[in-house]
Amino acid sequence: MKKTLRQMRPVYVAGIGLHRYQRMSDTPYVTLGLTAIREAIADAKIEWRNVESGYTGTAFIGMAASRPMLRHLGATGIAIAQVENASASGSTAVRQACLDVASGLTDVSLAVGVDKPGPIAGAPGKTNIHDLVGRRVVPFTHFALLANEYMNRYGATAEEVAMVAVKNNRNGANNPYAQRQKAVTLDEVLAGPPISGSLTRLQCCPVGEGAAAVIVVSDDAIDKLGIDRSRAIRVTASVSRSERVYRGAKNFDAELTRETVAQAYDEAQISPQELDVVELHDAFTIEELLYVEAMGLCGEGEGARMITSGAVDIGGKCAISASGGLLAMGHPIGPTGTGQVAEIARQLRGEAGVRQQPNARTGLAHMVGVGAVCVVHVLQKDS
Amino acid sequence: MSENASPPTELFSAAAEPELNGRRCRACGYVFFPPQSYGCEYCGAPGDQLEPKALRGAGALASFATVHLHQGKDMEAPFTVGVIVLDDGPAVRAILTQRTDEGLKIGERMRAVIVETNSEGARARELRFRREETAR
Repeated sequence: MKKTLRQMRPVYVAGIGLHRYQRMSDTPYVTLGLTAIREAIADAKIEWRNVESGYTGTAFIGMAASRPMLRHLGATGIAIAQVENASASGSTAVRQACLDVASGLTDVSLAVGVDKPGPIAGAPGKTNIHDLVGRRVVPFTHFALLANEYMNRYGATAEEVAMVAVKNNRNGANNPYAQRQKAVTLDEVLAGPPISGSLTRLQCCPVGEGAAAVIVVSDDAIDKLGIDRSRAIRVTASVSRSERVYRGAKNFDAELTRETVAQAYDEAQISPQELDVVELHDAFTIEELLYVEAMGLCGEGEGARMITSGAVDIGGKCAISASGGLLAMGHPIGPTGTGQVAEIARQLRGEAGVRQQPNARTGLAHMVGVGAVCVVHVLQKDS
Repeated sequence: MSENASPPTELFSAAAEPELNGRRCRACGYVFFPPQSYGCEYCGAPGDQLEPKALRGAGALASFATVHLHQGKDMEAPFTVGVIVLDDGPAVRAILTQRTDEGLKIGERMRAVIVETNSEGARARELRFRREETAR
């Protein structure tokens, strides 16, 4: 019989760690990854030899990335694999680690996302199917087209869309792991340089390097290893879907998110009103508006008003991208989805410092990958 | 960068009133563009069930964006991309004949035209769209 994650063995995030997201440097990926993993192990107060499987979410660093990195923690012989799912690689690594623990195959699993920008070409360009625009439409133009359509449909202004960057950079300014750590004004966002359509540079996420790690454990591991249960955050849903043909739907990106998030709500048995913190795929400002609506946090066409009302600020009804999101924290691809789960866990523990959303108990992490996939995790603090 | 610098001509017919070479699934009726013969993404019917379906190069503008930053040498920014919902069904993305979005309005009529390009020393023909009121 089919089961949801919640119907299997409980899975908890017990350790989180990151290496700052930053512009491309000479730092080897091994250093980035080990920094995040060592921080996560120390955070969980366990030892590396306790970890029984490891998944490395990465898109650009190349074949067989795990062992050359993990061996420096002590080569214990654990099961390892690389996980590639475009921008959702790190989210998918978390999902694989959760499935290992939930199934009972392991008691302690690691998901690490690590990446450095590289020249590897994606497979979708290798299908030999051509269209009228080819590479003249890159992601920022895809989303500029969606922004144009959205503004026309709902009467939202370019300023309202740009406010997403103001909010998320304000949050990122307080995140030591963020690539952009500087608050910006609306005028600064709108000043450009222009990229595509109404999107300016600060409305597009920076793609750099970095790492994020999450250690997930079973109840047995918590007892056996003496892990602090009060800091362990339960993963109550892990859902992964890919795009269908949404005949009649206005927007495929929003539709994929809508059905993936709906499944996650169902599996976690929560409603959108219960969400206190959300990390969502805000690679471009317009995405946040599309996705808050698709997530049911507000009605159709109300996304812009929701952002400008303060309801999704830290301290509001539901803090969205308290980390700074992809727009400010950055989007190093492999680490991004893992880092989102780390931020949600930090928030639900109440350990987010100046970024803390008061009384956060339920959180959701959402990533979209070209191709097109959507991966959603729901995390909840045991009451 | 070369693969799409000059889109293959089989995407459209180079007639005076150009048509787009779409496909229609015999099994489920799904009409789509660009053409491919791998299989129907709506119902999964194999490629031999996908028959040619000419799509008239006429439709309504659903969205547009002027691209200010472009790294490829095939085209110089700024240029404008549009989403056109064809009268025959599918929505397609195409380069518009006008370089910027000046005067464009969502919902207005658009028509396909063939333009001669000379990118990277290679002459090619591309299907682009222009506002109907300015067409011919």
